[in-house]
Amino acid sequence: MMKKQRSSSIGSETELSNLNEDMLFEILKHVDAPTLAKASCVNKKWKKTSNDERLWEIICTRHWVNIGCPEAQVRSVVLAFGGFRLLHSLYLRPVLKATAQSQNKSSTIPTKWGKDEVHLSLSLLSIRYYEMMDCNYKGRQK
Amino acid sequence: MKRTHHHQENGGYSGEASYSMENTTGNGLDLGKAEMMCWEEDNFLEQQQDTGEDELLAVVGYNVKNVDLADVAQKMEQLEMMMNSSVHQEDGFLSDAVHYNPSNMSSWLESMLSEAELTLPPNFDTSCLAAAGLINYNEPFQSSSSIDDNLFIVPPTAESSTTINFPNPINPQIYNTGGDEEEEQQLNPPISDYDLSVIPVNEPIRPVVLIDSSQENGIRLVHTLMACAEAIQQDNPKLAESLVKQISLLAVSQAGAMKKVATYFAEALARRVYGLYPQPSYDSSFSDILQIHFYETCPHLKFAHFTANQAILDSLVDSNRVHIIDFSMKQGIQWPALMQALAMRPNGPPKFRLTGVGPPQPDNTDALQQVGWKLAQFAENLHIEFEYRGFVANSLADLDSAMFDIRPNETVVVNSVFELHQLLAIPGAIEKVLRSIKEMKPKIVTIVEQEANHNGPIFLDRFTEALHYYSTLFDSLEGYGYSLSPLNGQDLIMSEMYFGRQICNVVACEGVDRVERHECLDQWRNRMKSAGFSLSHLGSNTFRQVNSLLSVFDGGSGYKVEENNGCLLLGWHTRPLVASSAWQICDSNIKSEVN
Repeated sequence: MMKKQRSSSIGSETELSNLNEDMLFEILKHVDAPTLAKASCVNKKWKKTSNDERLWEIICTRHWVNIGCPEAQVRSVVLAFGGFRLLHSLYLRPVLKATAQSQNKSSTIPTKWGKDEVHLSLSLLSIRYYEMMDCNYKGRQK
Repeated sequence: MKRTHHHQENGGYSGEASYSMENTTGNGLDLGKAEMMCWEEDNFLEQQQDTGEDELLAVVGYNVKNVDLADVAQKMEQLEMMMNSSVHQEDGFLSDAVHYNPSNMSSWLESMLSEAELTLPPNFDTSCLAAAGLINYNEPFQSSSSIDDNLFIVPPTAESSTTINFPNPINPQIYNTGGDEEEEQQLNPPISDYDLSVIPVNEPIRPVVLIDSSQENGIRLVHTLMACAEAIQQDNPKLAESLVKQISLLAVSQAGAMKKVATYFAEALARRVYGLYPQPSYDSSFSDILQIHFYETCPHLKFAHFTANQAILDSLVDSNRVHIIDFSMKQGIQWPALMQALAMRPNGPPKFRLTGVGPPQPDNTDALQQVGWKLAQFAENLHIEFEYRGFVANSLADLDSAMFDIRPNETVVVNSVFELHQLLAIPGAIEKVLRSIKEMKPKIVTIVEQEANHNGPIFLDRFTEALHYYSTLFDSLEGYGYSLSPLNGQDLIMSEMYFGRQICNVVACEGVDRVERHECLDQWRNRMKSAGFSLSHLGSNTFRQVNSLLSVFDGGSGYKVEENNGCLLLGWHTRPLVASSAWQICDSNIKSEVN
């Protein structure tokens, strides 16, 4: 609604907010985690695009050192247990922050994410999934 | 000390009042010194006679042995307090009783006190208990600068009153805990009980001034706990009973971790004293629930699982089939992380077979099977070929290797988290289980146990160890649990109950029922070595991962991981709490894996 009111007055803002989804997607491929998170708060369209798992996968894997595992494998594991966005917000970010703090570096997230931190985050993600599974599961559903 | 005055003043002996040792504030230490000099002189004189009885009292018709003097004085005081308190009662205890000849002072006092069914008066000053540890009968009197390290002396303050008491036969240890649990010192080794009758006559008794401080109640509480345990150790149920009541009163006045610990120990002691041994807990579903909450509030289980899983992972590098036998199945929360890590192996996951062992359930539900289904569903997400079997057993010793259906070409792993110590309650059980494990030819055996010695032969030692260990644990709950989930009080309470049950078992149970027989890492090392296992060192990447884990959940509050000759220890500040180790079969025919 704000956009419609403004559309007559300021032209450049309209263009940005009416951006083509694919274009937005391409742009968001290159932003960092905080920016991507903020982008999901702009409006519904942006939220839908920003929450795309592929974008968060890029965020997560961009600075991974070689964790000794093909991407496809990682992808299937992470997607099965909640996705990259969840992985990042719940575990990757806090783990890295904590590691940096404990090593007395600055509290900003380091650019290289080591094997240990990644594996730890993945373990915690899978544990969380298991804990939240239905406890009364009694039979195979397939 | 006041005897010197009596020499000069009235020469006569006027009953119990003259032996009251009350000293007013301020001149305590000075007066003490002066009087001590006189005392020394007295004894010097007495040496010359050497009849074994107090000369002065004998003159006026009372036979008191020198060696009994201290005891007599103390009993006099107790009697005086008793009489004062019973003044307003209608049935004075003096009315109908028959008492021994008062000329035999000791036994007369004894009869008076037992007639009145003496319980320790409410204001029984436990300072005398402290003083007990401070009197050193082997040293002649020296100046206060060379006083024992154990001495607890605080400079007098104006508002407190002091009492000098002769030592009481109970001899607890001295703690410098106060309210500062996190810096608890190591316990002093137990001071052996002294027997008044072996005190040489010419040794002076050094009076001590003990002043109330702000941490008085906490110290009293600890002293009383120890005194009660000692009373139980010495088979003195009446004293133990009265002390248990004391503890309950004192515990109420405490706050925080100390209060909770004291309450649990008090209950355990009460159970032991009154013979209300708790039934062996077959309610495993409840303890499972407690353990889930424990998992959330403490890093102990996370530490256990992560270290064990890493060791297992390292041993499965070349395997395509793995069979894990888990003695501590519970909710199976250890295995999702391992399965996930296996799924991310470059050569894909192995075939995963899990056998879980658990206790019988009271309500006939098959908890093990339900856990199996849950894990199966989880494994499906990871496209891991999963096979599961559950075994219900009252005790691990009931199992043997044939039951597990070990197939050829599968890598066997045995895992036990906080389970093996229970076998120590039954003679021969642990050896049998270790033999069975060996028969299964596992690639690796992961063992996690509490790092404490709660299985010593002497009750008092076990009690002391447990008090120290669980105080540290409750401290860590306070410090860590609250910061973690301040709104989740339920988790915290459940964790406390989880520990409370252990406390009750360690203190109140005996024999087969006492299953919480924790032992230290070194004891387990010896046991495993003599059973034919050799240590498989936990790698440095395990250490790093666990440190990361702690920093996420801990946020810099007191938990630390340290390495100990290939094993890892989780500790709260300086006190280790949990030990994790990995073992393989020591066999010259089998090439040992080099990590």
